[in-house]
Amino acid sequence: MKQASSRLGEPAALITPGLIFLVLAFFFPALNMLSLSVIGPAADGGGFTLEHYAKFFTDDYYAGVALRTFRLSIIITVTCVLIGFPLALIMSRSPGWVRSVLIMLVILPLMTSVVIRTFGWLVILGPGGLISWVLETAGLVGNQISLMHTESGIVIAMVQVLLPFQVLTVLGSLNRVGPELEEASRVMGAGFFQTIRLVSLPLSIPGIVSGSLLVFALSISSFITPSLVGGVRLPVMAGSIYQQVTGSFDWGFAAALSVLLLGATLVLVIPYLFVSRSGRR
Amino acid sequence: MSNLNISTISKTFGSQQVLNNISLDIADRSFVALLGPSGCGKSTLLRLIAGLEHPNGGQIHLDGQDITRLPPERRDIALMFQSYALMPHMTVFENVRFPLRMKDSAPKSEQAEHVRNALAQVQLDSFADRYPRQLSGGQQQRVALARAIVAEPKVLLLDEPLSNLDARLREDMQVELKRLHRKLDLTTVFVTHDQTEALALADQVVLMNKGIIEQIDTPERMYARPRTVFAAKFIGAANVIEIELRDIAGERCGVLNDGTVLDPSPDVELPAGRYKFMLRQEAIIFNPKGKNTVRLEGTIETQNFLGSVTRSIIRIGNQKISAVTPAKNTPVDGSQVTFGWNLPDFLPLQD
Repeated sequence: MKQASSRLGEPAALITPGLIFLVLAFFFPALNMLSLSVIGPAADGGGFTLEHYAKFFTDDYYAGVALRTFRLSIIITVTCVLIGFPLALIMSRSPGWVRSVLIMLVILPLMTSVVIRTFGWLVILGPGGLISWVLETAGLVGNQISLMHTESGIVIAMVQVLLPFQVLTVLGSLNRVGPELEEASRVMGAGFFQTIRLVSLPLSIPGIVSGSLLVFALSISSFITPSLVGGVRLPVMAGSIYQQVTGSFDWGFAAALSVLLLGATLVLVIPYLFVSRSGRR
Repeated sequence: MSNLNISTISKTFGSQQVLNNISLDIADRSFVALLGPSGCGKSTLLRLIAGLEHPNGGQIHLDGQDITRLPPERRDIALMFQSYALMPHMTVFENVRFPLRMKDSAPKSEQAEHVRNALAQVQLDSFADRYPRQLSGGQQQRVALARAIVAEPKVLLLDEPLSNLDARLREDMQVELKRLHRKLDLTTVFVTHDQTEALALADQVVLMNKGIIEQIDTPERMYARPRTVFAAKFIGAANVIEIELRDIAGERCGVLNDGTVLDPSPDVELPAGRYKFMLRQEAIIFNPKGKNTVRLEGTIETQNFLGSVTRSIIRIGNQKISAVTPAKNTPVDGSQVTFGWNLPDFLPLQD
């Protein structure tokens, strides 16, 4: 009996610090937010109300913000997957030093402050910036263009910072698979691209799924980069929540927006996890 | 017809020369072992044949066609990896069908027939729907073997085919591989570091060391007449005894390090000087008789009883000689013994 209890006791002891942290830093604030979202203003007595939610669903403006947030997040995620997989494949099959250099290059954006990095993008994307200059010199556009305050600009800036999450998780799965299965495929008669389609890609699906989930979760809640690149004309959910808290001091509505964002994310993410798991068998 | 001709192949990795001007002809339907210690270049040679590496110099021809620069998928050569390299996301059936799917335009039903035949060859017909991880190591290897033979390649390459199996399975697999080779008449090349494996399976042993070929011979000849010190020590256990050949009273004599003169002297025609000779452990006879037999006096220093045989370390002067003799007729540990060997068993070696 003693042995059995210690077998349960040890993992319990190990999990406790994490659990305490999770309760204090996540569940408690989340519950707090949930209750804020259904409590009316103190002036009206602070009773139960659904008016914050009603405001969201009756105002087209907020539906547009939500739609834009999801659309951008999906585009960013898909772009990261499309760029991330080939990059990770090259990294996993390169000699040691090439891989180190590539990993450094991919991680580098994470090491700069988000504000500085975004101001860098303002210079590149803005009118007369690098992109504008290249397109103009190449004769592709007639006069100066600006990607500032466009959704394309937001996507470009976000992909840069979220790519490492995608690349590194896919790299993890590819490294576990190793080059031998690809070699076996080649010897068995599959060409380079056939090998990628039949061997490398299916075997890195766990990495692609977890990487893209990470990218999606980070981009849907991102705030600084979309606000600076997109400006006031292209608000996203996180920016609107911030605006409600700091500008309108409407905590109740901000909480309702947060709950809706969290809920919608879960609705998208849970089936995705489920499907990818059953696909892996 | 599947002749594989390897001529003047060299391969370097960075500054390291892994293969140095290797030439080797592998005849149709032969069973060839590439044998050598780790780092001798045998695995690299196998990968060059498969097309997974490209040589820095030299050519490889298969049936007269230059395949040196051909990518692996266009070579008609199968390779069984040491780790088996089964696709974890495919069933046994899908794994074995993979080469057919790539190379063969036959209809699916016909391919399925081939897969079933290949699985039957390795007695795994009832496992087609399982995933590799649901099989034991031995079964996984048989799947890898079925996958290698299913498309009837011109050459079958095996990388350390028995190294991941336990002792009993290894013996079964040796029998199995030999049987399959005889049945399929497939030109087969395998890599091994284990000399007993090479001797047991191959009909041609290619002994490699430090990027060059030391000797190519049948297993029997490789064992009986190794040419170099390396070959003698690597294949079977052998005593390497250094002697001096010099003229004493007008006659060429062999002299051991402690001054003992061998009688009769070695039957070789070599100029005077120091030489290394090989003497197999089992060539030693206690209390030898007969005319063509060398006789020496020594002391048994240690002895190990190994069941049917006993190994004795005999000291003569400062020289130690290891002898393996039938347990019944071996003198006891510590005794003074007379021992010797038949003259033809004492072979000169090159360094």
